[in-house]
Amino acid sequence: MTTEAASTSIPQQSRRSAGLDGPARIELYETMVLSRTFEEAILREYHADKGPGFDIGKGLVPGEMHLSAGQEPVAAGVCAHLTTDDAVTATHRPHHFAVAHGVDLEKMAAEIFGRETGLGKGRGGHMHLFDPATHFSCSGIIAEGYPPALGQAFAFKRRGTDRIAVAVTGEGAANQGAFHESLNLAARWSLPVVFVVEDNDWGISVPRSVSTAIGSNADRAAAYGIPGERVENDVEAVYDAAAGAVARARAGEGPSLLEVHTLRMWGHFEGDAQGYRPDLSEVSEHDPIPRYEQTLRDAGLLDDDKVDEIRRLVSTAVEDAVSFAKSSPIPDPSTATDYVFA
Amino acid sequence: MTQVVFPSLSKETPDAEGVLATWFVSEGATVAPDQLLAEVQVDKVSADVVAPEAGVVHLLVDEDSAVRQGTPIARID
Amino acid sequence: MTITEAPHATRRLSTSKAMVEAIAQEMDRDPSVFYLGEDVGAYGGIFGSTTGLLDRFGPERIIDTPISETAFIGLGIGAAVEGMRPIVEVMFTDFMGVCLDQIYNHMAKIHFESGGNVKVPMVLTMAAGGGYSDGAQHSQCLWGTFAHLPGMKVVVPSTPADAKGLMTSAIRDDNPVVYIFHKGVMGLPWMAKNARSTDEVPEGDYTVPIGKARVAREGSDITVVTLSLSVHHALDVAEKLGPEGIDVEVLDLRTLVPLDREAILESVGKTGRLVVVDEDYKSFGVSAEVVATVTDHDPGMLRVPVQRVAVPDVPIPYAHDLEYAVLPRQDRIEQAIRAAL
Repeated sequence: MTTEAASTSIPQQSRRSAGLDGPARIELYETMVLSRTFEEAILREYHADKGPGFDIGKGLVPGEMHLSAGQEPVAAGVCAHLTTDDAVTATHRPHHFAVAHGVDLEKMAAEIFGRETGLGKGRGGHMHLFDPATHFSCSGIIAEGYPPALGQAFAFKRRGTDRIAVAVTGEGAANQGAFHESLNLAARWSLPVVFVVEDNDWGISVPRSVSTAIGSNADRAAAYGIPGERVENDVEAVYDAAAGAVARARAGEGPSLLEVHTLRMWGHFEGDAQGYRPDLSEVSEHDPIPRYEQTLRDAGLLDDDKVDEIRRLVSTAVEDAVSFAKSSPIPDPSTATDYVFA
Repeated sequence: MTQVVFPSLSKETPDAEGVLATWFVSEGATVAPDQLLAEVQVDKVSADVVAPEAGVVHLLVDEDSAVRQGTPIARID
Repeated sequence: MTITEAPHATRRLSTSKAMVEAIAQEMDRDPSVFYLGEDVGAYGGIFGSTTGLLDRFGPERIIDTPISETAFIGLGIGAAVEGMRPIVEVMFTDFMGVCLDQIYNHMAKIHFESGGNVKVPMVLTMAAGGGYSDGAQHSQCLWGTFAHLPGMKVVVPSTPADAKGLMTSAIRDDNPVVYIFHKGVMGLPWMAKNARSTDEVPEGDYTVPIGKARVAREGSDITVVTLSLSVHHALDVAEKLGPEGIDVEVLDLRTLVPLDREAILESVGKTGRLVVVDEDYKSFGVSAEVVATVTDHDPGMLRVPVQRVAVPDVPIPYAHDLEYAVLPRQDRIEQAIRAAL
């Protein structure tokens, strides 16, 4: 069942995805399945050794863990328009964007496991993934990933390229100063940025209706003179809206804001019992991946064999990455003060 | 011999008074053309004064003293 | 000790002009260098950091920003990550509060968090210091706060030559460098200036190494470790006490991160007496770190207790006499030296 997008200020094209042929649609599905399978593996590994109760500092993947189950359509739909020359700055919940943008799965897994072979040699962890090969970065500070994206876009523009920066935050971040400063400056300097807001309804335990004075952050775009659009958690709706935003940026027409009303299927962090959440029992009904799978089955693009094959390939890739991580060396404590300065 | 005068920074008030804020050269120093001699200020506008030609500079006013626009501030021999 | 590459011709410049010269020379040399901040264009920087540069390099490279420190410091970070060399100005160190996250959680940590895979070669310039009645929110130094947070180098030039040499080094450094200039050393025409704010500056390519202190005045009786404007006040006192037979050694730190601990130890090892002069707040900061450098190594080096002359943990007052009672000026420095002898 298709969902209606909210009214927008970008000229509306047909909702039928222009430029999405069969193989491209299957690729969107594969990206989402890869992302979800990766998160499920991390979920498994994270909880495997925290017992007997829940000791957050214990186990092979200690610390906070913010997983992206349910938000795959945002990453898949936006990143389908990008190459690895484009920059993506993500949030404390970064894995789906990292996967969709092409960050090496093994190095990402190794970083999450804190190993020497990780993206940051174990120094950064799951919220601080940096991959220069794909211009991917993320930050654990709400909204603060937006400003560096401006700088990457500035460099791309200054060098006369059509590369762009995609900057991702959540709906709670839209109430932080960095969000507003970034929209104004990117608009004023016409920077090639696509601002993505993942509205998953919850800022930890606080719903948007409690935190935000207006109903849709897409409406904030007009305050900065840029187009804003809000779509539902459908990968092709995201793809369509992102197409326009990305094209604008590449053409030198400046930034846009794309808000996706997405779904946080699991807790804010692992260990979050979500007692504050009344809709918890219905969450799995809105899982975007089975819904899209059904859409593609109905279109004759997927069948049992094809789905099994995809799941097998994805599982292999994910489990290989986890094995790589687990068999990688733990950083030597005597190197704890390395890499402060170049 | 060439005179170096306090520049006209305030066009509306030709005989406005400013200050010789900083001397960058000492009395009797040998200077080259375009060498920075002084920084002057009228109200909040400041400007650099450079040597019009090479020679030995003689300072005619003290640093921090009030000077009217157009007044000679140095002599180059 | 100042290390220069070759004997240079010199001429006299103010600290402000020396800083501008370094920026201009690097911008000529490297097209990826650009300067952004509030009022850095036509105005030339509120405290003379970019005077004349807009005319010379144009608005593409000398860029006026909105009042959005978080956004434009972040922009500098992103541009640096992509290989440019931005110089980003925060108008007053006092404004660090509105943008500190980008500075200490991003600019300073990205290299480390990425295991050295991502560099952030940017310079963050800031004006600091009091003495002209600008009040509690516009007179702070705060270099101790930046020095305390890992991942950024911190340089604080006191002389025109060092202003040029350290700026050149900062721009060329592949790390984030916080470059803090005291308004009182700039030699600005609209603020009372000390005699040494205009001095000889080498022409051409000139660098001063980051991480090396300089003996501003050699002496044998007592060591005064200090930085920024306080160097000039310490020199004033040393000149006054010389005829009395008190031989003061003044050590200009020039860099806080990395701190030249060897220079501190060498000087105190020689004199056995230490006075630290720091215009930042007294407790939990630079002056304590200098003292700890000595006592961590060998408290026996000290023949007498250390004297610290700093701002006494109070917001800077507005009224002139109150302000001058808390600043570490010549009278308090002289008092401290005499107390240590």
